[in-house]
Amino acid sequence: MPLVDTLFRSRRISPLVFGVVAVLVAFALSALLPTYLVYLAITAIVATIALLGLGIVTGTAGMIALCQLTFAAVGAWIVSLFTVLDVPGGYILWLVAGGVVAGLAGVVIGLPALRLRGVNLAVVTLGFAAAADATLLKTQFPGAPQGTKVPRPEGFLDDRGFFFFCAIVLVVIAVAVHYLQRSRFGSGWRSVAFSERGTASAGTSVRLAKLSAFAVSAAIAGIAGGLIAGQVGTAYPAGFSTIQSLALYVLAIVSGAYLIEMAVFGGILWVLIPELLKRFGIPQDWGFVVFGALGIQALTTNSNLGQDLRNALTKRRHRRGAGTSTGLVPLSDEAFEASLQASGSGSGSGKPLLTVTGLSVSFGQVKALQNVDLTVDEGAIVGLIGPNGAGKSTFVDAVAGFLPQHEGTVRLGGDALDGLPPHKRARLGLRRTFQQDRVPPSLTVGDYVAFIARGEAEPVAIAEVLAFIGCPPASTRIVNVDVGTRRLVEVAANLAAKPRLLVLDEPAAGLSHEEHVAFGQRLRMIPARYGTSILIIEHDLDLVRSVCSSITVLNFGAVLASGSQETVMNDPEVLKAYMGETEML
Amino acid sequence: MRNMKRTIVFAAITASSALVLAGCSGSNADESTATGDPIVVASVNALSGAATFPEASAAAQAVFDEFNAAGGLDGRPIEYTALDDKGDPSAASSAARDAVESTNAVALVGSASLLDCEVNADYYEQSGIVSVQGTGVDPFCFSTPNISPTNAGPYLDTQLTLSYGSETLGLKKICGLLEIAGSTRAAYQEAFDNWTAATGKDFAMLDDTVPYGGSDYTPYVIKAKEAGCDAIYSNGVEPDAAGVLKAAEAQGMTDMTFLFLTSAYSAQFAEAASFVGKGVYVPAEFAPYTDESNEANSDWRALMEKHDVPLTSFAQGGYLAANNFIEMLKSMDGDITRETVTAAFKAQTEGYETPMAGTPWLFGPDDAHSSNTAGWPIVIEPGATTWSNAADTWVTAESFAK
Amino acid sequence: MLQGALAGLAAGGVYAVIAVCLTLMAQLVKVINFSQAAIGMFGAFIAVMFAEADVPQGLAVFLGILCGVVLSGLIGWIIATWLPEASISARSAVTVASLLLLISMSYILFGTKPKTFRAIFPGPAFEVGGVVVSQVTVVMVALAIVVAIAAKVVLSKTGVGTTLRAIADRPVAAELMGVPVKPFAIGVWLVTGLIVAVAIAIVAPTQTSDAASLSLLVIPASAAALVGGFRRLDLAVIGGLGLGMLQGATAQFPELSLVRDWIPLVLIVVFLLWNQRKEVWDAAR
Repeated sequence: MPLVDTLFRSRRISPLVFGVVAVLVAFALSALLPTYLVYLAITAIVATIALLGLGIVTGTAGMIALCQLTFAAVGAWIVSLFTVLDVPGGYILWLVAGGVVAGLAGVVIGLPALRLRGVNLAVVTLGFAAAADATLLKTQFPGAPQGTKVPRPEGFLDDRGFFFFCAIVLVVIAVAVHYLQRSRFGSGWRSVAFSERGTASAGTSVRLAKLSAFAVSAAIAGIAGGLIAGQVGTAYPAGFSTIQSLALYVLAIVSGAYLIEMAVFGGILWVLIPELLKRFGIPQDWGFVVFGALGIQALTTNSNLGQDLRNALTKRRHRRGAGTSTGLVPLSDEAFEASLQASGSGSGSGKPLLTVTGLSVSFGQVKALQNVDLTVDEGAIVGLIGPNGAGKSTFVDAVAGFLPQHEGTVRLGGDALDGLPPHKRARLGLRRTFQQDRVPPSLTVGDYVAFIARGEAEPVAIAEVLAFIGCPPASTRIVNVDVGTRRLVEVAANLAAKPRLLVLDEPAAGLSHEEHVAFGQRLRMIPARYGTSILIIEHDLDLVRSVCSSITVLNFGAVLASGSQETVMNDPEVLKAYMGETEML
Repeated sequence: MRNMKRTIVFAAITASSALVLAGCSGSNADESTATGDPIVVASVNALSGAATFPEASAAAQAVFDEFNAAGGLDGRPIEYTALDDKGDPSAASSAARDAVESTNAVALVGSASLLDCEVNADYYEQSGIVSVQGTGVDPFCFSTPNISPTNAGPYLDTQLTLSYGSETLGLKKICGLLEIAGSTRAAYQEAFDNWTAATGKDFAMLDDTVPYGGSDYTPYVIKAKEAGCDAIYSNGVEPDAAGVLKAAEAQGMTDMTFLFLTSAYSAQFAEAASFVGKGVYVPAEFAPYTDESNEANSDWRALMEKHDVPLTSFAQGGYLAANNFIEMLKSMDGDITRETVTAAFKAQTEGYETPMAGTPWLFGPDDAHSSNTAGWPIVIEPGATTWSNAADTWVTAESFAK
Repeated sequence: MLQGALAGLAAGGVYAVIAVCLTLMAQLVKVINFSQAAIGMFGAFIAVMFAEADVPQGLAVFLGILCGVVLSGLIGWIIATWLPEASISARSAVTVASLLLLISMSYILFGTKPKTFRAIFPGPAFEVGGVVVSQVTVVMVALAIVVAIAAKVVLSKTGVGTTLRAIADRPVAAELMGVPVKPFAIGVWLVTGLIVAVAIAIVAPTQTSDAASLSLLVIPASAAALVGGFRRLDLAVIGGLGLGMLQGATAQFPELSLVRDWIPLVLIVVFLLWNQRKEVWDAAR
């Protein structure tokens, strides 16, 4: 494992090098292993490929998919059909076609998953597996009743050759999956697994993220199915049964198949356990009992072999690389003034950027917001305050697009936002952060910022914004970052996206007093430095006072007061309704 | 790390408990007195999964143990490996490779599987190895050059049970509930056509969409009732055939006769059948073992009981396959290798007679082998929970030809 | 057609009983129990094992059902102990693993030969206009309705029911108030284990008693439970009976042979999409 880890650490080139090495190793193995082991190894490789696909859906995107071998059957079906029809192009092309069609099948089955999530998807996929199982048993694969054999690719005809061929396919898929996982797609999958809201706020379509995960997973399974047809010569329904799909799912959980080397490990387990049972003369039925028991163990401890191994490695690395303290220290007054000047102070053009008119939201009988008006000018920092339950977060949700049933209008610059889903609003330049932790722990800080920035930020820019907000370096894994600092990372990431408006929902909760001061200083520098206006919701009036040019106060879902900081802070109504109640200075 | 340790401990416990449980089920064999170079033989069987046929290879093992205890082939023992195909095509093909390439078997003997022939027939041909199948199920067992089963198979069985029903029992309207698994549809159709050609009879209703391993057969049984049939033919294996009977019982079909296949022939099946309508008829592929007075089975019965092998048709098939193989070995001169064994079987011209089967077993040079063409009609009478003979001798397709 | 539909009613009754259990589990202990039917299967097979060892049938069935209850409680205990606050997906995934384990385990313990199991309710119950309704059909339909009504009454009219609903809605609050959350959760598992073990023990002898097909009854049953959105017991019962009748009716037409297998899936997808047409986000805020 250390070898793999070292090879993968420097990201951009090593996977390719590793792939080439793997192909060479496979070639050596294909020549050296006994024939029977070569045949077993084909099975292991095919299982690995199916697991790689499953890892994307279950591990990365956090969905339960119980029909992986049914997608494999689709791939096998296409390869069999093309064999019977003698479609020009040969096995390799048919294999790709099988993957494509399986991917399309994944889209069709995944379509309900756009609306549905989690466990309902499990019910759908299990139903799909059972129905396809029954149907295949009746119809059989094309050519199977006649005994038509699927031809292996030219040059890879015998078992050894076909093993080598499968190994090449595996390496190609593994490298592709590696880059996909690292890409914005991959970050989107991880993000959607952790929080759909967080994903949408990053301007990524939740539907697209889920659907792409499902389609890629199914396509990979389809290729595995095509390989099975080539391995056995004919595809049979018994090779793609529901029970085996269940077993494969459990194995993906046990091995942690979203990690590539662990998918390989899972594929080896898939043949190793039955083989060991055979050597010891134990009935093969024990194989799935072992899988089931390991699955229960992995799920109840919320762990898997792959993650355990990786954690052990990264922990060691971190001990070497020392801690991840926040670098958020206050600047001296002079230094602060200087940098404020340097970044070209001045409060922007003064044209209205965000214009909210007559915003009302009701949940059943409860009126959460009534006829709220609010404007944020370009280059301004506006505070939104009010006691608990005043409707501040509802306001943010409505503006960000999470409450499509609201009344009133929301405009951002020249764009009307009404009716747009959250990810479209985010793409128009309206970003928000959350009160709750919405930063997926499975990513590194850098990957997260790149994902949130949607390709807007180069590594240099990412490092710059992280340093500016005082976040840990880009290579840090978020799981090792404390929750308060995660909020800062979230702010930094959204800044990196260079939005026109950034809505911060209690960003400073969990920071020390020193950090508060420093954070306030950074906020004041943002409009000039990044061209971003800010709407901030905050309990801490110190912070609000120090950064906001104007303030709106909400109470019982209605605007109590609005205007410049001095006016609002001295309004007796505000003092009565809000100041007297909580958090008096 | 703690979790990982737990995982390992957990796996160890599971594995060791599996070992213990497996150890309990092991039976001790006879001491072999043959010490020479072993003759390696293997088989591919359905030993785990939803449908299992462990008796054929167990019976073959018993025969070989006995043979080795008696000195083997001039001091050379037969070393027998029963491999599991799990009912999974990929596992079946790797089991075949294990047999041929790792185990280096000279022949396959006593295999009983749902898909061994279908998946591996080509491979056996390429590898130049023959399979003396204990129980062949799929059509490729009866239509390929390197496989010759000892049993008659479901297709011939179908022809016999239908002929017996329409001719001997004089049933007027037979409804067919056909389960299709794998590529068997055409082979069944051929059997139906043969029946129709020989007797001029046909189904009053045939449903070939009956689910294999379905949970409730009531809707299909009702179709037979609505078609006005007085008999139901079903090709279901034990659990499915039992399911048909249960559905008919719930519907109170006391006037129905059932025509099943050897796959439903077991003492357990008769015991489980609390309802049989006007009788369940089966053409047994081998001499009916539930008839203890039948002398044909006495050697087999003694051996099976000695080795704790359940008494089933599969055990008969495996026993015959092993005996046929030994008989062939004894007739051979010179080296015993895969090549010589295959050549010897292909050169066979005289069939091996046994009272346990209606026709002699033959390999020979043909491209297809189906030497067992007889069945012995047996029945579960209404109210009975055991099988009894419905005839006192074998019937063949020719017996019913007009 | 009508005959076919009525024939499917026995299967529909089983779907309905399991669907009711699935709904109760989803509501009260936040899990979609994929091993629900497998638990019942295990109980029924253990009953057969006892019966084959010459234990009187009544006692054998009782012991089998008891084993099903214990098994269900065991899985419930595992989930309640290690995953008390996990998401419904994580909890349900455990039951996928236990489904796999139970099916394979039953192959090992009970073999795959037909079970010598005497039907508890054999033969036809009555005949209306040439259409036979079997005893099992009557018993299963009645069981489904009785269980659904009883559950409804217990949950809405008794103190235990109030506590259960409180635990389901606010587990942490209930825990703070001193309600023994874990025993109650395991109690739900025990009760649903009992119901499903009884149902399978009644129905298994009248059907193909093979481990996989009995265990996978959970698929049509979850389709039925989805008709009620895993919330409404009455709709779960109606969904189960309707699905069984639909499958029975379509079995009368060989040309619909392929369509028949897809009915549960289509039903699942349609109802899910309908039920969740408004729900858009994973978290409330």
